[in-house]
Amino acid sequence: MPKVTINGKEIEVPAGTNLIEAARAAGVEVPHYCYHPGLSIAGQCRLCMVDIDKVPRPQIACNTQAADGMVVETETPRVKDTRRSMMEFHLINHPLDCPVCDQAGECWLQIYYMKHGLYDPRMTDEKVHKPKAVPLGPHVMLDAERCILCSRCVRFCDEITGTGELGIFQRGDHSEIGLFPGTALENLYSGNVIDICPVGALTDRDFRFQVRVWYLDTTRSLCNGCARGCNVEIHTNRERMHHNQGKRVARLKPRYNAEVNQWWICDLGRYGFRWIDDDSRLTSPSVKADGQLVETTWEDALGVLAEALGRYRPEEIGVLASPQMSNEDLWTLRRVLDGLGVANRDFAVPPREPGEDDKLLLRADKNPNTRGAELLGLGPGAGGLDAGGILDAAAEKKVKLLWVLHHDLINSGFAASRVTAALAGAELLVFQGTNASLTSARAGLVLPAAAYAEYDGTFTNFQGRVQRFRAAMTPLGGALPHWHILSRLRSRVPRLATVADAALAAERPEQVFTALVGAVPAFAGMSYRGLGDTGQLVKA
Amino acid sequence: MPDPKRPEFTSEQLAEVRRLQGLYPDKRGALLPVLHLAQDAFGYISLDVERYVGTLFDLSPAHVHEVVTFYTLFFQQPKGRHIVSVCHNLSCHLLGAKDIIQHMKERLGVEPGETTPDGKVTFLTVECLCACEQAPMMQVDDRYEGLLTTEKVDRILGGLA
Amino acid sequence: MAEKILSRNFDVRDSHTLGVYRDAGGYKGWEKARGMEPAALTEEVKKSNLRGLGGAGFPTGVKWGFIPKGSTAPKYLVVNADEGEPGTFKDRYILERDPHALIEGMMIAARAIDSRLGYVYIRGEYVQPWRIFSAALKEAYDAGLLGLSVPGGGFDIVVHRGAGAYICGEETGLISSLEGKKGWPKVKPPFPAVKGAFGQPTIVNNVETLACLPHILTRGAEWFAGLGTKTQGGTRLYSVSGHVVRPGVVEAPVSVTLRQLIYEHCGGIRGGRALKAVVPGGSSAAILTPDEIDIPMDVDGPKSKGSMIGSAGVIVMDDTVSIPDALMVVARFYAHESCGQCTPCRESTGWIYKMAHRIVEGKGRKEDLDTILDVAKRGAGTTICAFYDGAVGPYISYIEKFREEFEALIRSGAHA
Repeated sequence: MPKVTINGKEIEVPAGTNLIEAARAAGVEVPHYCYHPGLSIAGQCRLCMVDIDKVPRPQIACNTQAADGMVVETETPRVKDTRRSMMEFHLINHPLDCPVCDQAGECWLQIYYMKHGLYDPRMTDEKVHKPKAVPLGPHVMLDAERCILCSRCVRFCDEITGTGELGIFQRGDHSEIGLFPGTALENLYSGNVIDICPVGALTDRDFRFQVRVWYLDTTRSLCNGCARGCNVEIHTNRERMHHNQGKRVARLKPRYNAEVNQWWICDLGRYGFRWIDDDSRLTSPSVKADGQLVETTWEDALGVLAEALGRYRPEEIGVLASPQMSNEDLWTLRRVLDGLGVANRDFAVPPREPGEDDKLLLRADKNPNTRGAELLGLGPGAGGLDAGGILDAAAEKKVKLLWVLHHDLINSGFAASRVTAALAGAELLVFQGTNASLTSARAGLVLPAAAYAEYDGTFTNFQGRVQRFRAAMTPLGGALPHWHILSRLRSRVPRLATVADAALAAERPEQVFTALVGAVPAFAGMSYRGLGDTGQLVKA
Repeated sequence: MPDPKRPEFTSEQLAEVRRLQGLYPDKRGALLPVLHLAQDAFGYISLDVERYVGTLFDLSPAHVHEVVTFYTLFFQQPKGRHIVSVCHNLSCHLLGAKDIIQHMKERLGVEPGETTPDGKVTFLTVECLCACEQAPMMQVDDRYEGLLTTEKVDRILGGLA
Repeated sequence: MAEKILSRNFDVRDSHTLGVYRDAGGYKGWEKARGMEPAALTEEVKKSNLRGLGGAGFPTGVKWGFIPKGSTAPKYLVVNADEGEPGTFKDRYILERDPHALIEGMMIAARAIDSRLGYVYIRGEYVQPWRIFSAALKEAYDAGLLGLSVPGGGFDIVVHRGAGAYICGEETGLISSLEGKKGWPKVKPPFPAVKGAFGQPTIVNNVETLACLPHILTRGAEWFAGLGTKTQGGTRLYSVSGHVVRPGVVEAPVSVTLRQLIYEHCGGIRGGRALKAVVPGGSSAAILTPDEIDIPMDVDGPKSKGSMIGSAGVIVMDDTVSIPDALMVVARFYAHESCGQCTPCRESTGWIYKMAHRIVEGKGRKEDLDTILDVAKRGAGTTICAFYDGAVGPYISYIEKFREEFEALIRSGAHA
């Protein structure tokens, strides 16, 4: 492996490493625009120049491979002066849109100008004008004047999605990013060009003018849109409810994970957070009285459930758990059901529209924790019924307490008549979930669950990778995480009170995780610390 | 002339496209020759022609559009029956190109870049055509005309059908 | 008068035809070359001190040697007939009046670099030259000189027309255009000899450079080297235009001086006027003043005055010329031809043209001159290709050498 010296520090890097990455490994930042580790080398911006010993002129770092014995300096007066020159070139025609540009605060022209520019501008001629505020597709807005023509977006659409919608037309300073007239940027990964655009040329239509980025908090989390579990950051506006229309979640950004989603996220996931702050969120426990759902306290609501769990025999209880729930949620539920001897349990409800895997990130399974539900044994217990069986048994009044977690059965892949019969047949329909639905409206008891973004936990993705998500905000209204709702049952259900179970006694999700690690061989040896930010694979 | 809004090469032209594509290790190398062919066949390169040519090369329309908008000899709008390109680069400028261009504007009644209303002439000013020994000079369709004077320009324009 | 070598056929009737070319001794160089080993051929060309005549002046034999030894990849010989440097027209003469010289030169070069396939990239505006060259090519095929069935390996030539972009005269911009893309020059490394057209080893040579090869082969490398100076062999074709009495192509040994070209070969300044300035090597070469013209016009002469021989396009300006006006014209050219790929060139060529134009319109500001100079110097050497350095040549030299004239124009606020 070649040994190179960067600003006096010698490091060893794999053969083929370019100098931007080599510098990064040495803890040195080489500013750049057009370079992106997930895309081909363009060498267009010319900002990443560095000095290399024995080479007369500065060279671009992105296209220079580390060679054994190479000595690189990134902070010589000449390199600094070259960067200042490059900042000026980039800003010659750039419009002074900062006050109205969403990128402000996370704009790499701003950031690098403050670090490497700080010159007195002397361009007083008319700047080149190009189209502004051009919607390219459902999610992306183009401002061609702001574009620095780094070509990252063009390369993304060529190399990652293979759809080739974007091009750089004309030449010279009239060069312009755009679509072929009459086409749209409609591939399912279009939002990624917003992330990789260093400036405000490509911005998010959904996020447009909603809130300034410096008001946002960021939390490391996961997307819950499918079984891949792309790593994300949830960006929340927690203190300024006059911005972003009072919604807490402002946007999601992908987080790099080499094994799961690299630098990307699909549009369905990127924009699939609306339900978290939607008006349909369930925020209060409710009990049906005279055909109407009436809000009540957790005390009363849990009392109703506990009483039913105590009254019905185990074979009269049917539980539809959800692969939307976390490992901790599912494990606590499993312990409750084991303690009660309930074998009629399942998690697999067919979707109305079957999905499809694609060649990039999308998975057919639109649930984040199907593997978790499998491994933690939320399928039917010995002699127990599966999901369809539970519904049919409810219709026949053999299952009297139908406990549905998350699923909107009426909009599922089960035949409408089958579902209607089940809901009509059950004596008590308990709905425990995050958002109101046609199914929750039919329930006799509604328990509001917190959104995954409102608590800590883990999902197990289709690869068997256990990944952490973290609370980006507190639960809305009176909602509580599933594991917490379930553990609170322990003190109310006599049969459970005698079960000594760390999961049921947990006050923090990490304690539930520790408990399931001890009990489920696939998770042996895991811990929150060990999972870190990239997750770990379950044991085979 | 085939309709540039509904472009389709004849079978002979398609055979020529295949032949041209075969001259390069990657058929994309034939893109410029085929665009020249398309411009001759359809009169100019409309967006529909770009899309059509893209299908012959498995190229997205955006990438064909990039090429067409980059090169000055591809016309994206209908052009006149004749293209008259007057050089305004250094040697021609030194030898009176400015006067020739002014004279052309007056004679044709259009600005550089425009086509005369009768559709006869598209008038362009262009960079060096590399015939500086004949400065000031212009290109009229396929041929170079140099050592221009206003009289010679009038004669040449007068001879255009 | 020195012997006409490269231009010996230019004024011969039907010189573009195979019969006339053969009668004048054509294809004898190829006869010799086909009996030589490629390595020996390359050595011979190195010994001749032949330098690239398109603009860069790089030793041709050395360039051929950059192809990786023992490479079994297909190698392409690409001819740069995208002549576009303002002030240059000599390649057009070869294409129109001596196309077989190019064909023969290509065959010799192809043997040296083990190429079976050559592309001739002719600028799109050169319609007549394209037709004439294509006809000569057909003659060569019909005569069995070309085609893969030719015993001894064989060689195919494909003609590829450009579509109007000066940047396609840049080696890798040409390759990009040949590949069916915009003429965007490529980031180097890799260099074309290692990874060029279609990802294969490629040598790009200028038309005139190749036209020298038959003579080097028939009369010897030493003879060719002896015609020139210590660092550059042979004669070359000088394109002289502007305010001279007899503009045109002048063939002379590379030791000829600029003064001789202007006053002896081209009849001096027209109208008996005085010389004010002269561009020695195409518009990208720094301008020279009358006291700087006693230099040999080889790769070193203009360099000694801070300029370059480039494409040997000599543009002569008399004392009626406004240098600020000339700068505006040249700045307009570079702004129009910038491909737009990399930031320093894309952004500053347009801006500098705006300033140059403002100055000529009488709206110049005194800080404009230093701004143009500083911006040009900051961009030089930072771009993907040498196009911008070519723009910097005039930007800096016109202002530095004629600063007074610029300042006077700015002060007066009106065109002189």
